[in-house]
Amino acid sequence: MADPLRIPDVVLEQALRDLGSHYPYPPTPNLASRVRQRITAQPVAQPRRLELWRDPRRLALVAAVLLVLLGAAALANPATRDAIAHFFHVRGVIVSRQPSPLPSLSSVTPLDLGHRTTMADAQSEVSFDIAVPAELGVPDAVYVYSGIPGGEVALAYTPRAGIPLVKQTGLGALITEFRGDLNPGFITKGLGEGGTLEEVSVHGDPGWWIAGEPHMVVVRVAGQDQPETLRMAANTLIWEHGGVTYRIESGLSKADAFRIAAGLP
Amino acid sequence: MEGRPLDDIALVERAKNGDVNAYEALVQQYQQLAFRVAYQVTGDAADAEDAAQEAFVNAYYALGRFRAGAPFKPWLCRIVANEARNRRTSAQRRTVLAERALVAQASGDSAQSPEAAAEADEFRSTLVATLRTLREDDRLILAYRLFFDLSESEMAEALDCPKGTVKSRLSRALARLRAALPADIRMPSPAGETNG
Repeated sequence: MADPLRIPDVVLEQALRDLGSHYPYPPTPNLASRVRQRITAQPVAQPRRLELWRDPRRLALVAAVLLVLLGAAALANPATRDAIAHFFHVRGVIVSRQPSPLPSLSSVTPLDLGHRTTMADAQSEVSFDIAVPAELGVPDAVYVYSGIPGGEVALAYTPRAGIPLVKQTGLGALITEFRGDLNPGFITKGLGEGGTLEEVSVHGDPGWWIAGEPHMVVVRVAGQDQPETLRMAANTLIWEHGGVTYRIESGLSKADAFRIAAGLP
Repeated sequence: MEGRPLDDIALVERAKNGDVNAYEALVQQYQQLAFRVAYQVTGDAADAEDAAQEAFVNAYYALGRFRAGAPFKPWLCRIVANEARNRRTSAQRRTVLAERALVAQASGDSAQSPEAAAEADEFRSTLVATLRTLREDDRLILAYRLFFDLSESEMAEALDCPKGTVKSRLSRALARLRAALPADIRMPSPAGETNG
């Protein structure tokens, strides 16, 4: 009978190595096809109306959205507005900090970018000049949302060298442009504790750099109670120039996002 | 089957640029390792499968932050172990019993006499059962080194700890395993063993 305390390390190690090849693992499942299915899910979801309010399983989410919107409402109150006036430098967007952690939204939450179209047709549907960043060139897909004054265009770029895939969008980079001057409060962003908000200047125009933990985006249309879109967003550079609000969402660093912004107004 | 590091680097770079086939090839190569690492943590096959699948999906989306040229294997191990920790169930006692039965089925070295084989099975069953009683980080470090053959620097990456602390952690885990072994454990007799 051996005293286990006396089994030398080298003997015990050898016994474990031997066990490694005999360890009773269950059979390895084939994960490759399922993983492939998940990562090749439609990169840009089809427009779909948000069913959030009708789904009882998402009550926690509804509560979180209400918090974001209430925070935004507080910002819109003239009594509190002065103290946080810098939040209104970019028209069309309200950013509010959330005291509690953000709920996790599925990465397959639809982007609801509107209908897919061509660049030429998109230009005829919006009331501003669509700008395409020279750095990225022609987008892989163009969408127009016509539900707001002036319309909104979304330029979608699939991942490529230097433009990594973003889990929240299934894209490499997503650029949206809309008339911020005509649509105050169109986009409300809720930042959790892990998100950072930095006031920046893009070509001398005021803007924000939002990074860190993904933040919540609620898109609303004036006169409608329900949000049109609710999803989590990655690093975002957002600014306004000449009444148009530009937004670059990507997994890029601040410096790289600014490089892309250099090709926009 | 695991790939050579140079192949991994090329596959990771291609996957980073949106090549889904390259990533699928990485999953093929590492799914067994990922599943087994997850199983070491969860002790439950269904949880391990979920954790490994989720880890591969998360790793894909995190490739943008993966340092070019870095080894894929320990980085994946780290993601898998984290996913597995989130899924650990309380089915561990049941697992130990099932594993004892499986050890007996899995062995059967023809080079051994029936008595020696039975002795080796008994010893392995005891080791498996004792490993299950260890703290998860002890079990994981022993498995990384002795089951999955990770180098010290790979272990440091997988465990997210300084390289200088790996040896002492391993040695402490081994000491705790030894202390947890039953006092009457029998080392199998080396006669007839075909040690590889």
